[in-house]
Amino acid sequence: MNNTIRVLIVDDEDDFRETIVKRLNARKLKAEGASGGRKALEILKEKEFDVMVLDVKMPDMDGIETLRHVKKLTPDVEVIMLTGHASVEFGLKGMQLGAFDYIMKPAPLTELLDTIGQAYNKKKEGA
Amino acid sequence: MRVWDARLLQDNLPAGKQRTEHIYDYAGSEENRKQINKHFDRLQTRLILGLILGFLLPNALLSAYFHFQFTHTLKNSAILSLEAVADNQKNALDLYLRERIANIYNLFRSPDFTLHPPQEVMEGYLRTLRHYHDGFVDVGFLDPQGVQTGYAGPTPELLGSDYSDEPWFQRLMQGNKNHVISDSHPGVRDTEYFTVAVRQIFFDKVYVLRATLDPDKLYMLLRSTVQGSNVESALINAQGQYQVVDPKISFISKSSAFIPPPESPDQSVGIHELDIDDIPTLVAYAWLTETPWALLVSQPLSVAQAGMYRARLILTISLLCISLVISGVIFYTIRRLINDARRMTTKGQQLQEMLAHASKLASIGELAAGVAHEINNPLAIIMATSGVIRDMLNPEFELDHSPEAINKELAVIDSAATRAKGITKKLQEMGKTRMPQAEPCDINVQVETVLNRLKKVELRGKSIDIQLHLAPNLPPILAEPEPLRQVFNNILLNAADAIDDKGTITISTGVRENAVAITISDTGRGIAPENLERIFHPFFTTKGGHHGTGLGLSIAASIVKYLGGVIKVNSTVGKGSAFTVLLPNNYYCPLT
Repeated sequence: MNNTIRVLIVDDEDDFRETIVKRLNARKLKAEGASGGRKALEILKEKEFDVMVLDVKMPDMDGIETLRHVKKLTPDVEVIMLTGHASVEFGLKGMQLGAFDYIMKPAPLTELLDTIGQAYNKKKEGA
Repeated sequence: MRVWDARLLQDNLPAGKQRTEHIYDYAGSEENRKQINKHFDRLQTRLILGLILGFLLPNALLSAYFHFQFTHTLKNSAILSLEAVADNQKNALDLYLRERIANIYNLFRSPDFTLHPPQEVMEGYLRTLRHYHDGFVDVGFLDPQGVQTGYAGPTPELLGSDYSDEPWFQRLMQGNKNHVISDSHPGVRDTEYFTVAVRQIFFDKVYVLRATLDPDKLYMLLRSTVQGSNVESALINAQGQYQVVDPKISFISKSSAFIPPPESPDQSVGIHELDIDDIPTLVAYAWLTETPWALLVSQPLSVAQAGMYRARLILTISLLCISLVISGVIFYTIRRLINDARRMTTKGQQLQEMLAHASKLASIGELAAGVAHEINNPLAIIMATSGVIRDMLNPEFELDHSPEAINKELAVIDSAATRAKGITKKLQEMGKTRMPQAEPCDINVQVETVLNRLKKVELRGKSIDIQLHLAPNLPPILAEPEPLRQVFNNILLNAADAIDDKGTITISTGVRENAVAITISDTGRGIAPENLERIFHPFFTTKGGHHGTGLGLSIAASIVKYLGGVIKVNSTVGKGSAFTVLLPNNYYCPLT
């Protein structure tokens, strides 16, 4: 029964986050949003997710910091870093810290869906 | 032009590093280069003068000292040699006179002596005297009354002359010596002679033998014993009249200008320095033993010190040559050193300018990257939302596609586009470098205007206590009022945002070191030390979401920098921040 991919979108831009969640849900994924790193960690403690899409540049706790905590808390969640144009190096840094891939903003939804799919497959293989 | 350095904007610099206030920045300007050149010119002059003085002054002092010592020694040795000459001549003269006295005295002892000598005997006496010395001119025999009773010589008419009134005769009669030598006196044929007389007592009566002598013989004697160049000897009597002297001198003057002091027992020879015909001359003198005559031996100082003059000439010339060489070397070396230093400083200056330029370019690159990033965020929203609308219109996804729902999504697109437009607008403002409408602005008025504007919108609904401490009679600042207001506006907005629900903002103005200082402090969250360096970077923000663009302080900093001022930050996390804007006093017309 568990063929639905559970995705957590972490971004401080409300409009962006909510829109992506809405579009992913329309495509039969089970998506939820978190407005920041801390919030995401709280949600992760309560619920299980397959893939996490994490914005690098956030106030409060940034993406890299959040990634560290996530990898400690729930290592089997695959993380996709979402970076701005100027912060490719943060994406690479994220990969070093165990992220699955990074996507540059703005990205078409198909690319995001593709990468989420790949990450999900990797997680299933690993499991 | 140096791009502002974030470190200059902070009050809490690392300890041990002296904070310097960079209100004006001349780096790279023509003014600065001129000052550097002037500095090096001054340094060069000072170094050259100092070194030349330092080398040459001791040299000159040493030379002067040796010159003085040398002169002194030379004069002493000239005095000594002159004294020796005088002593020798005095002894020679005394010996000569004593011999002549003995010659005459011996006549009394001759076997053919009688108290009434006939002419043949007198002629015999003269022959005998001439045999001893050819300076004898004549000889005479005087009876106790002073009448010449016997004579032999070139003037036979002297036979029978009475000598009792002659000074030498009276001296001989009254003195306790048995002989006397007279001063020279003109003889019959207008030649000078001097007389030597000897007395002898026979049967209680005094008889005298006298002879005259040619002083030329004495002069020859003086000449023959002289050593050294330009040494003149002369004999004078107690009155200073020349007795024996170089005919050249006696032709000019009969008496000497200098009469030596009376003989002292401890010193037979004395020395005196005087000007003869304006020529400084050394004179050695000695009184003769046999007669009150004084011997004067003189030598001009210039002759005595001729060696010194030569040495002094060589010394002076070599000193001049050495001085010139040393000065030349110093001048050349210093000029080369200074030129090297000057070249290096100019190079450093150029490097600094290049660095400033590079950091400006880097700042532009940073800005471009930031712009891309910031614009990408709303673009991402627009793309995602337009995708949602497409999804809605696709019946496959079974989404709500009522016009209300679509309008809602379109509103999201509008707001994202507005955000992007806001960013580009602010960028344009930041890019504006010209301030064409500068006017004297009263800072207090500008601060109040901004505050009133903010109170109407941004600060409404927050319980923020605003304290104003505005200094009266603030000097006006020449600037465009709107950018100036924007500086205060942006800082005040940050201060208000830093306060969570309740707090105080204090605005104070005043004059600090030729600049107008505006301090805006809040009791808000404060700025973390790691962020302090970045708060002026474009697009740096901690506000999150679409509350801030990260351009506010960046724009404020570039405006303040344009006005030649600085912004300083002092912040403690949890207690609040204080932003101080320092604007140079650029408008000097006094307010009426």
